[in-house]
Amino acid sequence: MHISEGILSGSVLLAGWTGTSEGIAVGLRKTDTSRIVRTALLSSAFFLASLVNVRIGPSSTHLSLLAPMGLILGWGVFPAVFTALLLQAVLFHFGGLLVLGVNTFIMGTASLSVYLLFGRAVREGRSKSLTVCMSFLAGSVAVLLAAGLAGLCLGLTDSNYLNTAKVLVIAHIPVALIEGVVTAFVIMWLKRAAPEFLS
Amino acid sequence: MKKSVLVITLALWMCAPAYAHGVGFRQSDMKAVTLEFFYSTGEKMSYREARVFSPRDGKFAAQTGRTDEQGRFAFIPDTPGEWRVIVRDEEGHQCEAKLVISDELSAADERASASQSNSSLPQGTELLIRALLGVSIIFNIAMIIRWRSGHAH
Repeated sequence: MHISEGILSGSVLLAGWTGTSEGIAVGLRKTDTSRIVRTALLSSAFFLASLVNVRIGPSSTHLSLLAPMGLILGWGVFPAVFTALLLQAVLFHFGGLLVLGVNTFIMGTASLSVYLLFGRAVREGRSKSLTVCMSFLAGSVAVLLAAGLAGLCLGLTDSNYLNTAKVLVIAHIPVALIEGVVTAFVIMWLKRAAPEFLS
Repeated sequence: MKKSVLVITLALWMCAPAYAHGVGFRQSDMKAVTLEFFYSTGEKMSYREARVFSPRDGKFAAQTGRTDEQGRFAFIPDTPGEWRVIVRDEEGHQCEAKLVISDELSAADERASASQSNSSLPQGTELLIRALLGVSIIFNIAMIIRWRSGHAH
């Protein structure tokens, strides 16, 4: 889901960096130092997840773990995503440095949105089945939201990219389902093994 | 009968432009450059969008197409100089191959150098080292923040 360097217009890049700066500033302010190791742990998981490819027909994609990150870190997701994407760009050439602002904004916003939408329902989890459903939805929505935002950035750059944007969203539907299942597993495991992570 | 003749005449007249744009083919003996594109995991970049830029025009693609199932793409360079082939997928992964074609336009003389790509990533041990380096940097940043915060208090 990383947008490559040299595709987006200057104004979209600037808007991305502005949104990302705001997100990081709020994220750092809201992240307690006692939770910094947790943030580093999830940032590392996000950084490594890009190396695990999932094959879908002739295509393949990798896990993003956007929803678990959002549900656990809340606003702290912005600094975590930024650090991981920066290292991915430098060490693996995923995305790029100029487009880092937009990529962070896309993934950070998607992740934060599921925290705001599903965070409470997942944390409180009145029943096991409801928690599973909410976690699954959170995982799927995060991926589709990120794909939609990436498509929007492409569409804002050039209307010729609108078809690519549509393909991008449609191509991510199977990924969203997989991510939903993974998120449900992660959340259910955390609820049992380390409930303080979701506090 | 007259009506049938009229209909047939009209149909033949309408088909006439199709005959004017007849098509054909012949086998070419020109040498093509064939490249294989793959991800750092070794997986092939199958059916991905490919664009070829000639040394004459680095802005507009001289040829566009898609890789095949095996991640292969072929083109015929018609001028010496540096040719670029960019293959990318819908997720933003991009591989750029630069090839220097000699005066003789011999495909055998090309020097390929992959850059700005996932395929330029090392595999195996070096990939593992980079992954560990990344994780190490993240935890070091976290520890520095924690240490500084402890000092502030």
